Amino acid sequence: MDVHLLHLAVRWLHVLAMAVALGGAALVFVLAARARQIGVPAVALLQLAASYEWVFWLAAGTLAMTGIGNLGAFGAGLPSPQTGWGTTLVVKLSVVVLLVMLSLPRTLAVARLAFAAPSHVADVLRTLYAFTSATFALVVAIAIWLAHG
Amino acid sequence: MNGDPPQRLVTWALATFHATLFVVASVLFAYTRGGLGSLLANLNTLVGLGLFAALWATTFLTTQRALEGIDVLGTMDDRAFVRRVFRWGAANGMAFLAVLAVVFLVGSLAAIPAGSGPGFLLFAAFAAPFALVVSAAVGGAVGAVLGVIDLGLVRLARRLSAENN
Repeated sequence: MDVHLLHLAVRWLHVLAMAVALGGAALVFVLAARARQIGVPAVALLQLAASYEWVFWLAAGTLAMTGIGNLGAFGAGLPSPQTGWGTTLVVKLSVVVLLVMLSLPRTLAVARLAFAAPSHVADVLRTLYAFTSATFALVVAIAIWLAHG
Repeated sequence: MNGDPPQRLVTWALATFHATLFVVASVLFAYTRGGLGSLLANLNTLVGLGLFAALWATTFLTTQRALEGIDVLGTMDDRAFVRRVFRWGAANGMAFLAVLAVVFLVGSLAAIPAGSGPGFLLFAAFAAPFALVVSAAVGGAVGAVLGVIDLGLVRLARRLSAENN
Protein backbone atom coordinates (compact mmCIF):
# COMPACT_ATOMS: atom_id res chain seq x y z
CA MET A 1 0.00 0.00 0.00
CA ASP A 2 1.19 3.54 -0.81
CA VAL A 3 2.35 4.97 2.57
CA HIS A 4 1.62 8.56 1.47
CA LEU A 5 -1.95 7.62 0.53
CA LEU A 6 -2.38 5.79 3.85
CA HIS A 7 -1.21 8.82 5.86
CA LEU A 8 -3.53 11.05 3.82
CA ALA A 9 -6.48 8.71 4.52
CA VAL A 10 -5.64 8.66 8.26
CA ARG A 11 -5.53 12.48 8.38
CA TRP A 12 -8.78 12.76 6.42
CA LEU A 13 -10.51 10.39 8.85
CA HIS A 14 -9.08 12.33 11.81
CA VAL A 15 -10.40 15.67 10.51
CA LEU A 16 -13.78 14.11 9.61
CA ALA A 17 -14.20 12.64 13.11
CA MET A 18 -13.29 15.97 14.70
CA ALA A 19 -15.74 17.84 12.43
CA VAL A 20 -18.56 15.45 13.30
CA ALA A 21 -17.85 15.58 17.06
CA LEU A 22 -17.45 19.36 17.25
CA GLY A 23 -20.26 20.12 14.80
CA GLY A 24 -22.64 17.75 16.56
CA ALA A 25 -21.91 19.22 20.00
CA ALA A 26 -22.39 22.75 18.65
CA LEU A 27 -25.69 21.74 17.01
CA VAL A 28 -27.08 20.23 20.25
CA PHE A 29 -25.89 23.33 22.16
CA VAL A 30 -27.60 25.75 19.74
CA LEU A 31 -30.85 23.74 19.74
CA ALA A 32 -30.82 23.47 23.56
CA ALA A 33 -30.11 27.19 23.90
CA ARG A 34 -32.99 28.12 21.56
CA ALA A 35 -35.33 25.26 22.49
CA ARG A 36 -37.99 27.49 24.04
CA GLN A 37 -37.94 30.05 21.22
CA ILE A 38 -38.23 27.53 18.40
CA GLY A 39 -40.42 25.11 20.38
CA VAL A 40 -38.27 21.97 20.52
CA PRO A 41 -39.88 19.45 22.95
CA ALA A 42 -37.69 18.06 25.78
CA VAL A 43 -38.13 14.49 24.51
CA ALA A 44 -36.91 15.39 21.01
CA LEU A 45 -33.96 17.27 22.45
CA LEU A 46 -32.98 14.26 24.57
CA GLN A 47 -33.32 11.89 21.61
CA LEU A 48 -31.02 14.13 19.60
CA ALA A 49 -28.52 14.31 22.50
CA ALA A 50 -28.59 10.52 22.95
CA SER A 51 -27.98 10.03 19.21
CA TYR A 52 -25.09 12.47 19.40
CA GLU A 53 -23.56 10.49 22.30
CA TRP A 54 -23.39 7.34 20.14
CA VAL A 55 -21.65 9.32 17.40
CA PHE A 56 -19.43 11.17 19.88
CA TRP A 57 -17.86 7.96 21.24
CA LEU A 58 -17.40 6.58 17.72
CA ALA A 59 -15.62 9.84 16.83
CA ALA A 60 -13.59 9.79 20.07
CA GLY A 61 -12.27 6.28 19.38
CA THR A 62 -11.57 7.17 15.75
CA LEU A 63 -9.74 10.35 16.81
CA ALA A 64 -7.55 8.42 19.26
CA MET A 65 -6.80 5.72 16.68
CA THR A 66 -6.00 8.12 13.83
CA GLY A 67 -4.24 10.56 16.17
CA ILE A 68 -1.71 7.86 17.04
CA GLY A 69 -1.47 7.14 13.31
CA ASN A 70 -0.67 10.83 12.66
CA LEU A 71 2.06 10.77 15.33
CA GLY A 72 3.33 7.51 13.82
CA ALA A 73 3.98 9.35 10.55
CA PHE A 74 6.69 11.33 12.42
CA GLY A 75 8.42 8.12 13.54
CA ALA A 76 11.82 8.76 15.15
CA GLY A 77 11.62 12.37 13.87
CA LEU A 78 8.98 13.26 16.46
CA PRO A 79 10.08 16.58 18.08
CA SER A 80 11.12 16.32 21.72
CA PRO A 81 8.64 17.35 24.47
CA GLN A 82 11.11 20.13 25.44
CA THR A 83 10.54 21.99 22.14
CA GLY A 84 7.73 24.53 21.67
CA TRP A 85 5.90 22.07 19.39
CA GLY A 86 6.34 19.29 21.96
CA THR A 87 5.02 21.41 24.81
CA THR A 88 1.97 22.29 22.71
CA LEU A 89 1.40 18.60 21.96
CA VAL A 90 1.53 17.82 25.69
CA VAL A 91 -1.06 20.58 26.30
CA LYS A 92 -3.26 19.19 23.50
CA LEU A 93 -3.11 15.60 24.80
CA SER A 94 -3.84 16.83 28.35
CA VAL A 95 -6.92 18.74 27.13
CA VAL A 96 -8.01 15.61 25.22
CA VAL A 97 -7.70 13.52 28.42
CA LEU A 98 -9.81 16.13 30.26
CA LEU A 99 -12.40 16.20 27.46
CA VAL A 100 -12.69 12.39 27.38
CA MET A 101 -12.96 12.16 31.17
CA LEU A 102 -15.69 14.79 31.39
CA SER A 103 -17.58 13.37 28.42
CA LEU A 104 -18.46 10.15 30.25
CA PRO A 105 -20.58 11.92 32.92
CA ARG A 106 -22.24 13.91 30.12
CA THR A 107 -23.22 10.70 28.31
CA LEU A 108 -24.43 9.06 31.54
CA ALA A 109 -26.40 12.19 32.49
CA VAL A 110 -28.11 12.21 29.08
CA ALA A 111 -28.94 8.49 29.45
CA ARG A 112 -30.38 9.10 32.95
CA LEU A 113 -32.39 12.13 31.81
CA ALA A 114 -33.90 10.00 29.03
CA PHE A 115 -35.92 8.13 31.68
CA ALA A 116 -37.61 11.26 33.02
CA ALA A 117 -37.32 13.92 30.27
CA PRO A 118 -37.91 16.86 32.65
CA SER A 119 -39.31 20.02 31.05
CA HIS A 120 -36.20 22.09 31.86
CA VAL A 121 -33.83 19.54 30.32
CA ALA A 122 -32.75 22.21 27.80
CA ASP A 123 -30.90 24.10 30.56
CA VAL A 124 -28.87 21.01 31.53
CA LEU A 125 -28.06 20.13 27.92
CA ARG A 126 -27.10 23.72 27.11
CA THR A 127 -24.50 23.70 29.91
CA LEU A 128 -23.15 20.23 29.07
CA TYR A 129 -22.79 20.88 25.33
CA ALA A 130 -21.43 24.41 25.79
CA PHE A 131 -18.53 22.89 27.73
CA THR A 132 -18.05 20.10 25.16
CA SER A 133 -18.12 22.53 22.20
CA ALA A 134 -15.72 24.97 23.88
CA THR A 135 -13.23 22.25 24.83
CA PHE A 136 -13.38 20.70 21.36
CA ALA A 137 -12.83 24.15 19.82
CA LEU A 138 -9.75 24.57 22.03
CA VAL A 139 -8.40 21.18 20.89
CA VAL A 140 -8.99 22.16 17.23
CA ALA A 141 -7.19 25.50 17.76
CA ILE A 142 -4.18 23.71 19.29
CA ALA A 143 -4.24 21.11 16.48
CA ILE A 144 -4.20 23.87 13.84
CA TRP A 145 -1.24 25.49 15.62
CA LEU A 146 0.58 22.13 15.67
CA ALA A 147 -0.08 21.57 11.96
CA HIS A 148 0.80 25.07 10.73
CA GLY A 149 2.48 26.93 13.60
CA MET B 1 -25.88 -6.36 22.01
CA ASN B 2 -28.24 -6.97 24.94
CA GLY B 3 -30.15 -4.47 27.06
CA ASP B 4 -32.38 -1.43 26.60
CA PRO B 5 -31.18 1.58 24.54
CA PRO B 6 -29.77 3.60 27.52
CA GLN B 7 -27.92 0.49 28.79
CA ARG B 8 -26.48 -0.13 25.31
CA LEU B 9 -25.33 3.50 25.16
CA VAL B 10 -23.69 3.14 28.60
CA THR B 11 -21.82 -0.01 27.48
CA TRP B 12 -20.64 1.64 24.25
CA ALA B 13 -19.58 4.83 26.06
CA LEU B 14 -17.76 3.04 28.90
CA ALA B 15 -15.92 0.68 26.54
CA THR B 16 -14.75 3.47 24.24
CA PHE B 17 -13.93 5.66 27.24
CA HIS B 18 -11.69 2.93 28.69
CA ALA B 19 -9.87 2.17 25.43
CA THR B 20 -9.43 5.84 24.50
CA LEU B 21 -8.34 7.06 27.93
CA PHE B 22 -5.90 4.17 28.32
CA VAL B 23 -4.26 4.79 24.94
CA VAL B 24 -4.16 8.62 25.09
CA ALA B 25 -2.86 8.62 28.69
CA SER B 26 -0.21 6.02 27.75
CA VAL B 27 0.89 8.09 24.73
CA LEU B 28 1.06 11.23 26.89
CA PHE B 29 3.13 9.37 29.51
CA ALA B 30 5.49 7.83 26.91
CA TYR B 31 5.92 11.16 25.10
CA THR B 32 6.81 13.15 28.23
CA ARG B 33 9.32 10.41 29.13
CA GLY B 34 10.88 10.71 25.65
CA GLY B 35 10.18 7.12 24.58
CA LEU B 36 7.39 7.64 22.06
CA GLY B 37 9.53 8.48 18.99
CA SER B 38 11.53 5.24 19.10
CA LEU B 39 8.34 3.25 19.77
CA LEU B 40 6.55 4.83 16.80
CA ALA B 41 9.59 4.30 14.57
CA ASN B 42 9.16 0.54 15.05
CA LEU B 43 5.40 0.56 14.55
CA ASN B 44 3.86 0.35 11.10
CA THR B 45 0.87 2.75 10.72
CA LEU B 46 -1.49 -0.01 9.57
CA VAL B 47 -0.41 -2.28 12.45
CA GLY B 48 -0.91 0.60 14.90
CA LEU B 49 -4.43 1.25 13.61
CA GLY B 50 -5.19 -2.46 13.71
CA LEU B 51 -3.94 -2.83 17.27
CA PHE B 52 -6.10 0.07 18.48
CA ALA B 53 -9.11 -1.41 16.67
CA ALA B 54 -8.38 -4.79 18.33
CA LEU B 55 -8.07 -3.18 21.78
CA TRP B 56 -11.32 -1.28 21.16
CA ALA B 57 -13.09 -4.52 20.18
CA THR B 58 -11.79 -6.62 23.10
CA THR B 59 -12.58 -3.77 25.52
CA PHE B 60 -16.11 -3.52 24.17
CA LEU B 61 -16.73 -7.28 24.51
CA THR B 62 -15.30 -7.45 28.05
CA THR B 63 -17.14 -4.27 29.14
CA GLN B 64 -20.36 -5.78 27.85
CA ARG B 65 -19.78 -8.88 30.01
CA ALA B 66 -18.64 -6.81 33.02
CA LEU B 67 -21.84 -4.73 32.98
CA GLU B 68 -24.22 -7.70 32.75
CA GLY B 69 -26.76 -7.30 35.56
CA ILE B 70 -25.27 -3.99 36.74
CA ASP B 71 -27.47 -0.90 36.59
CA VAL B 72 -24.92 1.89 36.16
CA LEU B 73 -27.67 4.48 35.70
CA GLY B 74 -29.55 3.42 38.83
CA THR B 75 -28.25 2.03 42.10
CA MET B 76 -25.29 -0.34 42.11
CA ASP B 77 -22.90 -1.96 44.56
CA ASP B 78 -19.64 -0.04 44.08
CA ARG B 79 -17.42 -2.86 45.39
CA ALA B 80 -19.10 -5.43 43.17
CA PHE B 81 -18.61 -3.06 40.22
CA VAL B 82 -14.86 -2.65 40.88
CA ARG B 83 -14.47 -6.43 41.41
CA ARG B 84 -16.25 -7.03 38.09
CA VAL B 85 -14.11 -4.52 36.13
CA PHE B 86 -10.95 -5.98 37.73
CA ARG B 87 -11.91 -9.49 36.60
CA TRP B 88 -12.94 -8.44 33.09
CA GLY B 89 -9.96 -6.11 32.85
CA ALA B 90 -7.76 -9.18 33.37
CA ALA B 91 -9.73 -11.01 30.67
CA ASN B 92 -9.26 -8.01 28.36
CA GLY B 93 -5.51 -8.04 28.99
CA MET B 94 -5.33 -11.70 28.01
CA ALA B 95 -7.57 -11.24 24.97
CA PHE B 96 -5.44 -8.35 23.72
CA LEU B 97 -2.29 -10.37 24.31
CA ALA B 98 -3.79 -13.16 22.20
CA VAL B 99 -4.32 -10.67 19.35
CA LEU B 100 -0.76 -9.37 19.76
CA ALA B 101 0.57 -12.94 19.78
CA VAL B 102 -1.24 -13.82 16.54
CA VAL B 103 0.12 -10.67 14.81
CA PHE B 104 3.63 -11.33 16.16
CA LEU B 105 3.63 -15.04 15.28
CA VAL B 106 2.28 -14.53 11.76
CA GLY B 107 4.79 -11.73 11.13
CA SER B 108 7.68 -13.75 12.53
CA LEU B 109 6.76 -16.95 10.67
CA ALA B 110 6.57 -15.00 7.42
CA ALA B 111 10.03 -13.50 8.10
CA ILE B 112 11.98 -16.68 9.00
CA PRO B 113 13.59 -18.56 6.11
CA ALA B 114 11.93 -21.76 4.88
CA GLY B 115 13.31 -24.91 6.50
CA SER B 116 14.30 -23.20 9.75
CA GLY B 117 13.87 -25.21 12.94
CA PRO B 118 10.89 -25.04 15.29
CA GLY B 119 12.96 -23.22 17.98
CA PHE B 120 10.99 -20.03 17.62
CA LEU B 121 7.64 -21.81 18.10
CA LEU B 122 9.00 -23.72 21.11
CA PHE B 123 10.12 -20.45 22.69
CA ALA B 124 6.66 -18.92 22.05
CA ALA B 125 4.95 -21.95 23.63
CA PHE B 126 7.26 -21.74 26.67
CA ALA B 127 6.76 -17.97 27.14
CA ALA B 128 2.97 -17.98 26.58
CA PRO B 129 1.87 -18.97 30.14
CA PHE B 130 4.11 -16.31 31.73
CA ALA B 131 2.92 -13.68 29.25
CA LEU B 132 -0.70 -14.59 30.00
CA VAL B 133 -0.17 -14.14 33.75
CA VAL B 134 1.52 -10.74 33.22
CA SER B 135 -1.19 -9.57 30.78
CA ALA B 136 -3.92 -10.63 33.22
CA ALA B 137 -2.22 -8.75 36.07
CA VAL B 138 -1.73 -5.61 33.99
CA GLY B 139 -5.27 -5.80 32.56
CA GLY B 140 -6.76 -6.34 36.03
CA ALA B 141 -4.80 -3.42 37.51
CA VAL B 142 -5.77 -1.09 34.64
CA GLY B 143 -9.38 -2.30 34.94
CA ALA B 144 -9.45 -1.61 38.69
CA VAL B 145 -8.00 1.91 38.24
CA LEU B 146 -10.49 2.67 35.45
CA GLY B 147 -13.29 1.21 37.61
CA VAL B 148 -12.48 3.65 40.43
CA ILE B 149 -12.40 6.55 37.91
CA ASP B 150 -15.76 5.30 36.55
CA LEU B 151 -17.31 5.40 40.02
CA GLY B 152 -16.29 9.05 40.46
CA LEU B 153 -17.64 9.98 37.03
CA VAL B 154 -20.89 8.04 37.61
CA ARG B 155 -21.42 10.05 40.81
CA LEU B 156 -20.80 13.28 38.86
CA ALA B 157 -23.33 12.17 36.22
CA ARG B 158 -25.93 11.45 38.91
CA ARG B 159 -25.39 14.92 40.34
CA LEU B 160 -25.67 16.53 36.90
CA SER B 161 -28.94 14.78 36.13
CA ALA B 162 -30.46 14.69 39.64
CA GLU B 163 -30.34 18.46 40.24
CA ASN B 164 -32.78 18.98 37.49
CA ASN B 165 -35.19 16.11 38.05
